[in-house]
Amino acid sequence: MIEIENLEKIYRTDEVQTKALNNVTLRVAEGEFVAIMGPSGCGKSTLLNILGLLDEPDGGRFAFAGTEVAQTSERRRAELRKKHIGFVFQSFNLIEELTVAENVELPLIYLGVGAAERKQKVEQVLEKMQIMHRRNHFPQQLSGGQQQRVAVARAVVNSPRLILADEPTGNLDSSNGNEVMELLTELNEGGTTIIMVTHSEHDARYAHRVIRLLDGQVVLENLTQAFSA
Amino acid sequence: MLKNYLLVAYRNLVRHKGFSFLNIAGLALGLTACLLIGLFVHDELQFDKFLPGGERVYRVYTEHTGKDALETYSSVSPMFAPTLRQEFPEVEQTMRILMRASTSLLEVGDKKIYVEDGLYVDSTFFGVFPLAFKYGSAAGALDAPTSIVLTENLAKRFFGDGNPVGRELKVDKSSFLVTGVLRSGLSKFHLNVNYLVPLAAAQIPPARMKAWGWNQFFTYAKLKPGTDVRQTEAKLQAYINEKVKPTMVGEELNDKPFLQPLHDVHLYSAAFKFDLSVRGNITYVKALSFIAAFILLIAGFNFVNLATAKSMQRAREVGIRKTLGASRQQLMGQFLSETVLLTLVSVVLAVVLTALLLPSLNEFTGKDMAFDLLRNPELLGLLAVLTVVVGLVAGFYPALVLSGFQPVKVLKSAVVTDGIFGRVQWLRHGLIVVQFALSVFLIICAIVVFRQVSYLHDKDLGFNRDQIMFFPMRGQNMSQHYETFKNELAQVPGVASVSIGYGFPGDQVAGDGLIVPTDGEKKEYGVTQLMVDYDYIRTLGLELVAGRDFSKERKTDKDQAFILNETAVREFGFGAPDQALGKTVQWEVWNDKNPDSLKTGKVIGVVRDFHYKSLYDKLEPAVLQIFPGAYWKVAVKLKGDNLSSSVDGVKQVWGRFSPESPIEYRFLDQNFDDMYKAEDKLKSLLWIFTGIAIFVGCLGLFGLATYAAERRKKEIGIRKVLGASVATIVGLLSKEFLVLVLVAALIAFPAAWLAMSRWLQDFAYRIDMPLWAFLAAGLTAAAVAFITVGYQAVRAATANPVNNLRAN
Ligand SMILES: Nc1ncnc2c1ncn2[C@@H]1O[C@H](COP(=O)(O)OP(=O)(O)OP(=O)(O)O)[C@@H](O)[C@H]1O
Ligand SMILES: [Mg+2]
Repeated sequence: MIEIENLEKIYRTDEVQTKALNNVTLRVAEGEFVAIMGPSGCGKSTLLNILGLLDEPDGGRFAFAGTEVAQTSERRRAELRKKHIGFVFQSFNLIEELTVAENVELPLIYLGVGAAERKQKVEQVLEKMQIMHRRNHFPQQLSGGQQQRVAVARAVVNSPRLILADEPTGNLDSSNGNEVMELLTELNEGGTTIIMVTHSEHDARYAHRVIRLLDGQVVLENLTQAFSA
Repeated sequence: MLKNYLLVAYRNLVRHKGFSFLNIAGLALGLTACLLIGLFVHDELQFDKFLPGGERVYRVYTEHTGKDALETYSSVSPMFAPTLRQEFPEVEQTMRILMRASTSLLEVGDKKIYVEDGLYVDSTFFGVFPLAFKYGSAAGALDAPTSIVLTENLAKRFFGDGNPVGRELKVDKSSFLVTGVLRSGLSKFHLNVNYLVPLAAAQIPPARMKAWGWNQFFTYAKLKPGTDVRQTEAKLQAYINEKVKPTMVGEELNDKPFLQPLHDVHLYSAAFKFDLSVRGNITYVKALSFIAAFILLIAGFNFVNLATAKSMQRAREVGIRKTLGASRQQLMGQFLSETVLLTLVSVVLAVVLTALLLPSLNEFTGKDMAFDLLRNPELLGLLAVLTVVVGLVAGFYPALVLSGFQPVKVLKSAVVTDGIFGRVQWLRHGLIVVQFALSVFLIICAIVVFRQVSYLHDKDLGFNRDQIMFFPMRGQNMSQHYETFKNELAQVPGVASVSIGYGFPGDQVAGDGLIVPTDGEKKEYGVTQLMVDYDYIRTLGLELVAGRDFSKERKTDKDQAFILNETAVREFGFGAPDQALGKTVQWEVWNDKNPDSLKTGKVIGVVRDFHYKSLYDKLEPAVLQIFPGAYWKVAVKLKGDNLSSSVDGVKQVWGRFSPESPIEYRFLDQNFDDMYKAEDKLKSLLWIFTGIAIFVGCLGLFGLATYAAERRKKEIGIRKVLGASVATIVGLLSKEFLVLVLVAALIAFPAAWLAMSRWLQDFAYRIDMPLWAFLAAGLTAAAVAFITVGYQAVRAATANPVNNLRAN
């Protein structure tokens, strides 16, 4: 699904150059659940953004589902993004002016899905995430856990092949956090590839594999206890 | 997709009510001003366009080289029409209108009404101006010398709704028969007209109609299709030079004729003399069009400013949408539909406002403009196009900026800045300066004009103009027995005194020479001649500074006495008022039979200067004398209370002396107030424009302040965490805007000074330039700006810094 070779990312500000990613090589197969860990500032989010086609690398190769995308146009990347990738953020990033249902519907609108089908899919996924009863509420009226469930619902509504999650439990207490992790596991069991950035060893245990970054470099790849055992 | 766009747009609009209100109100106000101006300009441009064949009609005017200067006369010799018709084959038709004293008494049975704007015209009138008839028809309507054509309005006043064709109507006692009634709706005709009678009815001696030097006719020529008017004009000028001028004996002809297109008459005749047409002024039309465009520009700029500032707060939303797969085009589509929606609401509001304000504008301009969208699909189309264009143009910039955001960046920080925005800072600041300079300028003008207008209305004129009924005498009986008439008026309860004469304040006055013999030499001065009676000074409450009033008891006062005003004393070099008494002066009596007879008399008194003309004019030397031959006007001073019964008493006396003509009276102070109508209008216009300018300027500033506060959110948060007080932060944010206002004031001050000095120059009597007006205008602008910016600054300064500092 994802093949990365010698990936580089350099941030240039007026005076400083930061090498956020340095020679990162990585493979993620279809159906895997991968956790990325490492200290703050090591380049996790940077890597995830590149994997999500939100950002461009400065060097190296990147094949997404067999297509080379390291240097493709913004338009092409947006196209791939909306078809194949769903995002879950630490801070939920729901649009405040839209209701729960409308937030979830948004990716389908951008995909050009017809109204009837949209309605059906939205209801399906809300049902699955158990927030159907909140469908007409606005994000501010929900708890953090509920908001993140909506975000997950929005990420999966167009049945993407890949879900990228950047500290999805970072703003949640442990019980709400576990709920979200269960959801992701369930999705993964349904065949969706998941790459998740996390600081929590506990959350990392849900994944098949953990990739550890330090100063922009992969320092360790190992199977989690759950799988090594 | 569009539904989703509009839904979000609507939610945004409702969520940020205050902001939406400001943005909509600003644009709506700007559009309203544009619409109103547009209606006015359109109406002005429409004059005479309704006349079929009007593009072939030309008016003859002449450039007259007079004693002092070149003047343009719109009324010309009666000979132009026959000459054009006979000597110029390309002329299809000509038509003349006699310029004459305006008011006539019209009578049907017992109904008597003084009517203005009756035109004496050639029978070809309707050939040149094919006006629509309600009753009767144009054919032959003016053939008989006793025929009369009425307007619908006038016909209604005399005959009600019935068809009056064939009925009799008297004009100044001569009989006419109604041959037709014009349909109403002549508001865009360049001539004010109530009725038309044939020129023949004026009974002008045929010899007089051949005079090339008698400039008394408006003359029109309709040219055959395809005629080159410039050629005809040149031929006419040559004809006058070669054929007419050599034949003139005893007098000189200094007129050069021109042909003015009918469609230019209304707007391009502002400088013409003796023009009776309804005149506009192309300069105003152009200036107003420019102002409208400027207003639209400023309103649009403010709209963009506010929308962009606001959009900064939505960067995060853009980031999310992009992450979810929105393309740049889709995002632009969304933001554009939002601005188009805002614009649509503004346009609807502007339409409502325009409809509400139009009656006032109509009253103000004396027009009857209509704003009927349903019956005017072009206007509706124009508004639709305007909505889309303004919405797209105004929304394009914020849409471009927003849709260009990098999702990774905007999702990371709470605060967003963009490059372009910073770079056009000077432009944004420049436009704010322009708006505020305009506000300051207008505030100063409004104050100065207000002060001058109050001065005009309230200045002590040197006489008492209150409660003086004023009217001309009518009919032989009244003029012949003016003394009995006057006595009977004086008997009416409530009448304090009565004066009959010619030369009352606010009315026409005669100018003539006065001879002052000094040291055997006779020196003649141009003076104002006030022909008065023994009660003039008492009735007007003039103040004698030396000598005495005329007295009936002294037989010599009638033929050998003069009273001067102070200016005359000064100008004649008599010294102090006392010293003028007893001096001899002479006057060539107005006497057709004996033009050389001299009236010689002594100065018996001096009155304090009083303003018998408007304050535009400098006081001139004036002479008061008893001269019944010129008596014409009557002034009746009423006592304090129960005016209406006194007025009724005066009317009864009038009825006994002149039963055939109704009285037509005014009050003297009305005459004076009417002199300053233009200034009164200017005053109210200025207040309105000042209000709009301030509001619009504030909107622009508000947008800028919002943007600045938004941009510096993080900085403010940090400062607060480090211990800055709210006051310090408000000061920090307000400072740069107060500087803008200061710059604006520095630009506005000299401009206002120049403009107002020039305006005041027109008045012989005027206020000093009030310096405090400048201070007041500057302070007002600064205060308004401070409140506008301060609001944003306080909001930013009191916001919880944690919210703005929380990363990711
Ligand atoms: N827009 C940017 N401009 C400049 N430097 C940046 C930018 N974004 C990130 N960096 C730098 O790149 C490095 C990696 O950042 P990144 O956000 O990927 O870290 P992270 O591993 O996600 O950290 P955290 O766990 O705190 O979220 C950091 O040193 C950071 O300072
Ligand atoms: Mg991170």
